[in-house]
Amino acid sequence: MTDLPIVGFVALSAALLAIGVFGILTRRNFILLLIAIEISMNAAILNFVYFGAYLGGTPGLTGQSIAVVLVGFAATEVAVGLGIVLALNRVKGTINVEKATELRF
Amino acid sequence: MILEELAFLVLAAVAVVTAISSLLVRELVHTILWIAVFFVDLSAIYFLLEAPFLGVLQLGVYAGAVTVLLLFGIMVTRKRIFSREAATGIGAVPLALAVVTFIFLVASVGEFPQGPTVIHAYDPSFLSENLFNVNGPWLLLLGLIMLSAVGGAIYLVREGRE
Repeated sequence: MTDLPIVGFVALSAALLAIGVFGILTRRNFILLLIAIEISMNAAILNFVYFGAYLGGTPGLTGQSIAVVLVGFAATEVAVGLGIVLALNRVKGTINVEKATELRF
Repeated sequence: MILEELAFLVLAAVAVVTAISSLLVRELVHTILWIAVFFVDLSAIYFLLEAPFLGVLQLGVYAGAVTVLLLFGIMVTRKRIFSREAATGIGAVPLALAVVTFIFLVASVGEFPQGPTVIHAYDPSFLSENLFNVNGPWLLLLGLIMLSAVGGAIYLVREGRE
């Protein structure tokens, strides 16, 4: 049994989400974009785990279960993202997202 | 408990510093090193929250698999893996948006009852019951999505496709 302040956890996850949003908006390298998205997703997962523990009982376990599923989703997203990185590097010779303009209109 | 609060404060500070460092350093390999520390640090926070299963999963999937995948992505897309990224600057608007997001989310804490939260340890058998029986369909959906993602990733990188 532990006693931890709710403000600290919400501030930590909010800070991680803000850092992720900042990274998504400023970085142009595809791998750095993936990392920024991962930081944002980790903020969400941390919230699920903390509020699951905050509620306790069955809702708490549901929070952890959702977090397990989200970790799987995040790993899948990185695998597909790296597939896109390799395809982009082969076609354009760079992994700068500003060079990927085929689908823009 | 003072010791646990202190541990949380240290781990939270390390998480924020490593997350910022991973996005601001210019060598991509250093980014991967920082993000690996970030993942291990979050795993320690999960252990602090009495969620050891998720902590081990975080170590295996994030600190292990995702980090190696990202490193592999850097290795196959560069001639010299320690080459530096061009500086892209920080940007006032993204920084302002990040700060507003942070303040808005922290301000929302006022909705919840204040004071320390009592976090109970859990029985792993209850978690497995919840994960595989109650939330079984979600796990099945996750498996199907991962399968289709593998197919998509193979399609993206297959030979002879321009």
